[in-house]
Amino acid sequence: MNSNSEVVGLFRIVSTKKGLLIVASVFSTLSSLLQIVPFFAVFKIIEELLMHAQNAAGINKELIIHWGMWAFLALVGALIALYIGGMCSHIAAFNILYELRVRLSEHVAKVPMGYHNKTASGELKKIIEVSVEKIEKFIAHQLPDLVSAVIVPLSLLIYLFWLDWRMALVLLLPIGIGFWLQARVFGSEEGQKAYRDFQYAVEEMNATGIEYVRGMPAVKVFGITAESFLTFKQAVTRYRDISLNITNMCKTSYSLFFIIISSLFVFAVPIGILLSSGQAYNQSFAVTFILILIITPSLSAPLLKLLYLGSGLREIVEGNKRIAAVFAEEVVSEPTVPRVSSSYDVSFDQVSFAYESKDSMDFKHVLSNISFVARAGEMTALVGPSGGGKSTIANLLLRFWDVKEGQITIGDVPIREMGTERLMDTVSFVFQDVHLFYDTIEENIRMGNTAASKEEVMKAARTACCHEFIEKLEYGYDTKIDEGGTYLSGGEAQRIAIARALLKNAPVLVLDEATAYADAENERKIQQGLAELVKDKTVLIIAHRLSTIRGAEQIIVVNQGEIAERGTHEELRERNGLYEQMWRAHISAARWKLGLDDQLSRQPVAAAVVKEDMSDE
Amino acid sequence: MNNYFYNISGGNTRSLLPSAVAAILDGIAKVVPAALLVDIFNTIYVSFAHPETGLNIGRMWAVFVILLIWLAVEYAAYSYLYDKTYKAAYSLAASGRLGLAEHIRLLSLGFFGKRDPGDLTNLLLSDYGQVENTISHNVPQLISAIMLPVLALVGLVFMDWRMALAMFAAVPFGVLILWLTDSIQARLSAKHVQAKNEAASRLQEYLSGIREIKAHNIGGKKFERLRLSFDQLKQASIRLEGIMGPMIMGAMLLTRSGMTLMIMVGSYLLIGGTLSLPVFLLFLLIGTKIFEPLTVVLMNYGEMRYSAYSAQRIMEVKAEQPMQGTESVPSGKPIVFDQVAFGYDPQTPVLKNLSFTIKPNTITALVGPSGSGKSTITRLIARFWDIQEGSIRIGSQPINRVNPELLLADISMVFQDVYLFQDTIGNNIRIGKKEATQAEIEEAAKRACCHEFISRLPQGYDTPVGEGGSTLSGGEKQRISIARALLKDASIVLLDEATASLDPENETAVQQAINELVANKTVILIAHRLKTIQNADQILVLNHGELVEQGTHDELLAKSGLYEHLWSIQQGADGWRVK
Repeated sequence: MNSNSEVVGLFRIVSTKKGLLIVASVFSTLSSLLQIVPFFAVFKIIEELLMHAQNAAGINKELIIHWGMWAFLALVGALIALYIGGMCSHIAAFNILYELRVRLSEHVAKVPMGYHNKTASGELKKIIEVSVEKIEKFIAHQLPDLVSAVIVPLSLLIYLFWLDWRMALVLLLPIGIGFWLQARVFGSEEGQKAYRDFQYAVEEMNATGIEYVRGMPAVKVFGITAESFLTFKQAVTRYRDISLNITNMCKTSYSLFFIIISSLFVFAVPIGILLSSGQAYNQSFAVTFILILIITPSLSAPLLKLLYLGSGLREIVEGNKRIAAVFAEEVVSEPTVPRVSSSYDVSFDQVSFAYESKDSMDFKHVLSNISFVARAGEMTALVGPSGGGKSTIANLLLRFWDVKEGQITIGDVPIREMGTERLMDTVSFVFQDVHLFYDTIEENIRMGNTAASKEEVMKAARTACCHEFIEKLEYGYDTKIDEGGTYLSGGEAQRIAIARALLKNAPVLVLDEATAYADAENERKIQQGLAELVKDKTVLIIAHRLSTIRGAEQIIVVNQGEIAERGTHEELRERNGLYEQMWRAHISAARWKLGLDDQLSRQPVAAAVVKEDMSDE
Repeated sequence: MNNYFYNISGGNTRSLLPSAVAAILDGIAKVVPAALLVDIFNTIYVSFAHPETGLNIGRMWAVFVILLIWLAVEYAAYSYLYDKTYKAAYSLAASGRLGLAEHIRLLSLGFFGKRDPGDLTNLLLSDYGQVENTISHNVPQLISAIMLPVLALVGLVFMDWRMALAMFAAVPFGVLILWLTDSIQARLSAKHVQAKNEAASRLQEYLSGIREIKAHNIGGKKFERLRLSFDQLKQASIRLEGIMGPMIMGAMLLTRSGMTLMIMVGSYLLIGGTLSLPVFLLFLLIGTKIFEPLTVVLMNYGEMRYSAYSAQRIMEVKAEQPMQGTESVPSGKPIVFDQVAFGYDPQTPVLKNLSFTIKPNTITALVGPSGSGKSTITRLIARFWDIQEGSIRIGSQPINRVNPELLLADISMVFQDVYLFQDTIGNNIRIGKKEATQAEIEEAAKRACCHEFISRLPQGYDTPVGEGGSTLSGGEKQRISIARALLKDASIVLLDEATASLDPENETAVQQAINELVANKTVILIAHRLKTIQNADQILVLNHGELVEQGTHDELLAKSGLYEHLWSIQQGADGWRVK
């Protein structure tokens, strides 16, 4: 999907409301035309008065009242038409915004995680929130305004041409200049760049503002003032400067446009005088002259609505580019016919992976040539130094990224051919840093299985050792989680996430440091609870506390993106390789006591000591 | 209204003055062409009334020349106004945003607990955007547009008060409609802004949790809360337009019907002979000029009322009291908890009647089941919240009298959930000490065992960190936060499960780093591995927010209480088993 076709897609969304928008434009134009009537009425009255300037007694009072009434009726009509047109265009606009937002949020959930890791959420938020919002202005206001700004002056000018072509011709000049000024604002290279910068500035201000609020504890601890939180300050200042720069850039065009369009009658004056001077007694010409002077304001009104047309359009076009760019992000591919797997061995077959593409500067293999099988009914542990690629392996299983080389299968089905829906049903996952949603605890657990009953939710909570603390909360399961889980400790949030995964009860369970924050008592309880549950499942576990995975059927040691060793705990220890080193480090770390620079802990630990420590782990 | 301008200017009403003056000047500048147009008409009228004198061409040319010159004056006035208003708007918004950001930093974290973080960012971003728009567009347009009708009214009353009355009679009724619908408008705008903010917050939540959303396959429409918030925003928007539209239209209709009223009255008076023809003509002519600006006034007034709610939201937060305290932190004094009671929500106490003393340069460990209040104690020492009962003192100085910033300058914290800013790794460490040199940063990184992995990155210390540190592993983030704390070198160190997510190879190294960090410091730490705290000078055992035991490791074991129980459980943790 290229970006062009998605721009087309954008217009397709707009065109779904074509009917409403046509109605809106018709009524908007009708309203503008009706708004001319009072001016025309005043002209008719003035004409009547002038004709009887020498003898007021001859004035036709009926005629004056007649035109006065017309002015009023036309006003009522114009306002009703304005309202109908406005509602049509607004309803169309708000529906379009809604659909765009839903589609955008749907889309971003389908693109690979890599996109989210390199895109600040504030930036995406700005696009879905602000860039989309701008479209409202265009659809609801500028589109119908534009239509009436073309049709009304055009019909008026035709009328004026019919009255006196010379004066009408003169009016074309300032109107032409006006449109030219707008085109200049919209089209100039400098302007395009400025509006691009403007978009970046808004996105940056959003991203840093969100960050400032989210990082508030750190902001407070390190005494980071808003002034010294440079990224936010810079973003706010840059936004101001770019905005001022843009306003400066548009200043001449805006001011000229405004002055010229609102003073159209001035341009008619010299021609009027010139033409009058030859025929001083030609009253009918003088009347035409007056008509033109009176009616030009109604020529100005629709044109003045276009004051911000050029800049507004430019802004929307830039915003739409962002929207189109989001749509252009390739989604995780879906198979046309999803294949169902009947067995649940997870296998990696010669998988190599890099986050960046080969031609990128940052290209670096994160995984190379990884092959292993995690069997159903067994626990497979991934261990190794941090940054070695353990979490990447787990993430690949969820297709957060697609592998370019090698293949990952569940049962005998490659995960690419399972379809996201089925894959997510097959695998449940507990992440190291848990994200809880702004909803009740019950709903947060139920995310694992939306059909679950309250009983089932509570059962999962019990197994994950969170039932007890949840019950102790004032509102129990109905407690609303603050965004980010403010009031829950890391361990508590993790246990809720475990409950969520348990409720899902998928055949493959991935635990990425799932109990890192749990205290010993809870960890033990969770382990016991899980032991029941995971009996027939494929369990893939990442843990740094080697003692917790000692019992795994298979331990895979991952180092620098490669499998360094594999086997059971005993086999690996005998091999005396990396695992043995890590085990010793783990044992000595477990002996660590705060505040004592214990020389022992830095020296290789005697085998006897290790044995002793193992026994009390 | 006074209040309104106070609100939209963020309390600095005077800053609006230059643009208001400019708008008045601009408005006055627009009066002259209208007057000149009247003169042209008059010239033409004279040629009708007294055909024998003919059309005064010379006068008309003169008027035209003045008109041309005046175009330049109008241009100057308009661009002056343009300059002043945009400058005022953008500067106000920028300083307002920074000021508000600085203000919320000084509030207790309790304030943040009460509010959705998305809502606060909306204040900083979209609500200020609304105010910006009002100051740059609505206020100056309104002021500038109102000048001509007002001056015309004054002039016309002298010409013929009856006609002037007819022309403007309906205006007060139009204003009355707006005034009466103020409360409806306020309610609808509040609902709309709320819907907008709700959508923004839900969107923020959605994007922050996108990984879980993908993992549970609940993206897009399936994340009902987000879809619903978009839908409600749509409905609130349509409702705002749909309901307020007729009110504004009604006000416009009344206001503009003055023209017809004036025509009616004029024709009667003219026929009755109490109104001269030129005066009637004058009124007709002025009538074509003043109703357009009056409409502009009404439209802008409507929009201003909308942004009043945003301004009010901003001012509400600005009215929140920052944490008080001006005293400095006494050095080398113990930290004393004296009968402290606290709850995040006063109804549910987390800590009850807690008393203990932490001597300087000693290690105090907090132990207890999860939810017993351990983390809360560390947060209270840092004064993230103020307590409800009792007192926390450093020496004899209650910390609620200490300047919170000075207090925090004395404290280093390493927490289990590390927040890194979206900046380079180097700058994230530099947060500990703003003036640190690159050498100092690298030194701290070496001591925190993160220099090695940082150096391995292609861009080294200049590697940008993703939002919230998303591109680094938990252990890596942890070590960066330790480097940060090392660089800060504060006298009180709070450690909350600082080594929970480290891999074994690094754990030893980080433990050494922590030992460096805590040397000669007052240390308060939370650790679930009881073994790591055996050497603490003092162990406080908490349960349900109360202090149940206190002493050294050996003393506590001898007591055979909760500590002994926890200790014995830990000896038995035997790891994961599937079969």
